[in-house]
Amino acid sequence: MTAISYPLVERTLANGLRVIVSEDHTAPNVAVNLWVGVGSRHESPGRTGLAHLFEHLMFQGSRNVRSGEHFSALMDEGARLNATTWFDRTNYFETVPTGALELALWLEADRHGHLLDAVTQENLDNQRDVVKEEKRQRYDNVPYGSALIDIYATVFPEDHPYHHPTIGSMEDLDAATLEDVHAFYRSHYGPNNSVLTLVGDISPDKGFAAAEKYFGQLPSIELPTRPRHAQLPPIEGPLRVDRVGEVPNDRLYVAFRLPVDATPDYLACQVAVDVLGGLTSSRLMHRLVRTDETAVAVGGWTMGLVDGVGLGAFTVDVSAGADPDGVEQALCEEIESFVAEGPDEAELESVIADTERSWLSALASIEERADHISHHALLTGDPDYVNTYVERLRRVGADDARAAAAVWLDPGSRAVVRYLSDTSGRDEEGEAA
Amino acid sequence: MTAVARPVVAAPEPWDFPLARTHDLPNGLRLLTYDVPGQYVLSLRLGLPVSLRDEPRDREGVATIMARSLDEGTQRWSAEEFARLLERKGVSFGAGIADAGLSLDLDVVKGNLEPALDLLRQILTEPAFPETEVARQVRTRLAEIDQERAVPAARAGLEFVRTLYAAEDRSSRPTGGSRATVAPITRDDVAAFHEEHVVAAGVTMVVAGDLAGLDVPELVATALGGWGSGGRERARFLDRRAMLASDRSRIVLVSRPGSVQTEIMVGAPGPDRSVDGGWAPYPVLGFVLGGSPTARVDAVLREEKGYTYGIRSSFRPRRAGGLFLTSGSVRADSTAESLRLLVELLESGAAGFSDKEIRSGVDFISKTAPGRYATADAIADEAVGMALDGRTTEFVTSNLRDLRTVDAPRVDAAYARFAAGAGIGDGSRPGAGWTIALVGDADAHLEAIRDLGLGEVSVVRDDQG
Repeated sequence: MTAISYPLVERTLANGLRVIVSEDHTAPNVAVNLWVGVGSRHESPGRTGLAHLFEHLMFQGSRNVRSGEHFSALMDEGARLNATTWFDRTNYFETVPTGALELALWLEADRHGHLLDAVTQENLDNQRDVVKEEKRQRYDNVPYGSALIDIYATVFPEDHPYHHPTIGSMEDLDAATLEDVHAFYRSHYGPNNSVLTLVGDISPDKGFAAAEKYFGQLPSIELPTRPRHAQLPPIEGPLRVDRVGEVPNDRLYVAFRLPVDATPDYLACQVAVDVLGGLTSSRLMHRLVRTDETAVAVGGWTMGLVDGVGLGAFTVDVSAGADPDGVEQALCEEIESFVAEGPDEAELESVIADTERSWLSALASIEERADHISHHALLTGDPDYVNTYVERLRRVGADDARAAAAVWLDPGSRAVVRYLSDTSGRDEEGEAA
Repeated sequence: MTAVARPVVAAPEPWDFPLARTHDLPNGLRLLTYDVPGQYVLSLRLGLPVSLRDEPRDREGVATIMARSLDEGTQRWSAEEFARLLERKGVSFGAGIADAGLSLDLDVVKGNLEPALDLLRQILTEPAFPETEVARQVRTRLAEIDQERAVPAARAGLEFVRTLYAAEDRSSRPTGGSRATVAPITRDDVAAFHEEHVVAAGVTMVVAGDLAGLDVPELVATALGGWGSGGRERARFLDRRAMLASDRSRIVLVSRPGSVQTEIMVGAPGPDRSVDGGWAPYPVLGFVLGGSPTARVDAVLREEKGYTYGIRSSFRPRRAGGLFLTSGSVRADSTAESLRLLVELLESGAAGFSDKEIRSGVDFISKTAPGRYATADAIADEAVGMALDGRTTEFVTSNLRDLRTVDAPRVDAAYARFAAGAGIGDGSRPGAGWTIALVGDADAHLEAIRDLGLGEVSVVRDDQG
């Protein structure tokens, strides 16, 4: 095992901004990474997609910054930058040459404190159009592009914050007004709802001083007080959605509710999903691809979330001519035998070795390291997770994985989303319990 | 509240690409090592000067199937046993072929380098290519062909190369082969291709990462010293220029009834790294025209018009000749207008660039270099790419130095050289010199596209079902 211990020093400013500095002088760069505790889970019905639209508006200027200047000013200094929005958060990040760190913080503080001075109807209308093209490109105009949207809508109850996707509804975006945008910003964007991580060529003292200098004067905001949802139980299922036509091959997504991120039960599920479908040497690979030859590819993945539930799924690309019902049946049999016997030593060893390499690869760049630190500081409260994750996974025993699978991956609790290429002899599109 | 003054930025120090140590093995394998402290996952890359042109015409795709079958079982282990061996040591492995050659990628944590090298030895020298596994890779590739046809960006790419390159040139056809050439591929085809081409002569191997305490040359010599040279000399890079189609300057529209967007790919032949006047201006040119959210293309099509989520341009050099390529997707009802604007913006280089634009491009590319090349995988990827281009990473350093001297007149001259070479702006008609592939609703947009007068337009309709 490769022992890693990235240094982490944390301080909270008087206005509530959590600042974490991880010093690393191997390159003359600093990764600046801000996570704001707002994502699509904070949106209300009829106002979906706002968190993401907002992320776009954050590049359209603020009190002292012209529209587009955030990009151009930073890129001129050698920054690589962007932002993303997800269920639980919105992140803003740039990797800058050390000499441009203060400029990056000044620009970030301006938009994180004073965006609304610059939000105009024109900007809103333009970025709404851009977001619509983003949705068409990513979801509407590619085969299987809407699969995740179907999975969320099937696995999570209608009144749950993860039921709708981050991209939101285009009708809701059309209905969004400047007043909605202002209200959204005031409710969520504030130093006490954010984490600032600096990784790279900077000492903790200098990092804290710079954070104080640029962010120290931003006022804290009154935060919404909704507690996180209680853990959702597994689905009383199975649930099923079929989409027929417009795809080259049949593909199945067999999805489950999981425990929330970073809990021992979530990690145990992660091991189970890896052994069943994630590894190259997985059981589904053995059964469906190599033995039955009813699939050309399989996968298994988990998505860590914090608001009362997580998500796990197996994906299967069905071989031409194979029967998707039979494939699904075989998949359920493999889950059942895993639940009966648990993983063996070689499987556990493979999960750990594979995870260790991919985790260390992820942490190899300062920008990804900063992102994981912000993630765990904001959402699980433990930025040191970057240093302990592999060890936590190693502590999952065979029986833990088996027991977690028995509860969370029970085939009776599955939600199946199928994209089918052929309409003959099949039901029309629709949902059925 | 007092506003904090906008800070002044201190210029970064000049930066050089990390230096390699070179070790030549008697079998022709050249090892380049890059010691990058703190990079605990080592990145190993092998670049083999294997040409797609060496595939039999009726078995195109055999190099791809061979690459994907390398770790599907060896003389000693079955495919499943071997997958488990790799995974228990945390080894990720992949292989694939492109125009520049065959590449193998292997990542492993530092402590497992020695067993990983032994697994790599078996992959290179003892693959068994079991019939069932090769047949499975063939089925997988056939399914992938269907996917490539269904995904607009991939479909546009296929039509683009078919239009740009001469029909008799391998570059005009899919890298991984087509249905007719992939379906008949057997394990014997694969084994024969492997035996002839996967030999040590002319191969460059890169090991990058935290190498403290490791004797990499010794470990590599032990593992791969016995890999046969193939009994011949082989140059370290391929050096043949692709032939262009005589009628390449035209528009092809792939019909996708009801598409909510139109995929656009616009390109023309471009320079390689040995171009007169130097390579350094070209990445700047690509950046300023369409390489960033602030570039000319997105300033209009995204930020002003809202027609697209983003369109990107770049120069893509090969060893001999290259491409200038722009691609992205636009809202369906803006198809003709977007295409008109896009060609206009791409041709706007003829009127020259401002000092400010060029400064931005030079600064972005030069100042991001230390960060872009900070990780073991980025260093190893660049090193193997340079080797297959007949260069070393000293080119990266000398090019960065030259880049700092690039100004607007040099970029104007570079654009003029590119345009003249591609036949752009030759006065015959707007759009001359470009190859344009579109994937969208042909019935809805054909007339409007024809009316732009950017060249002959033809429609391709894929068999449905």
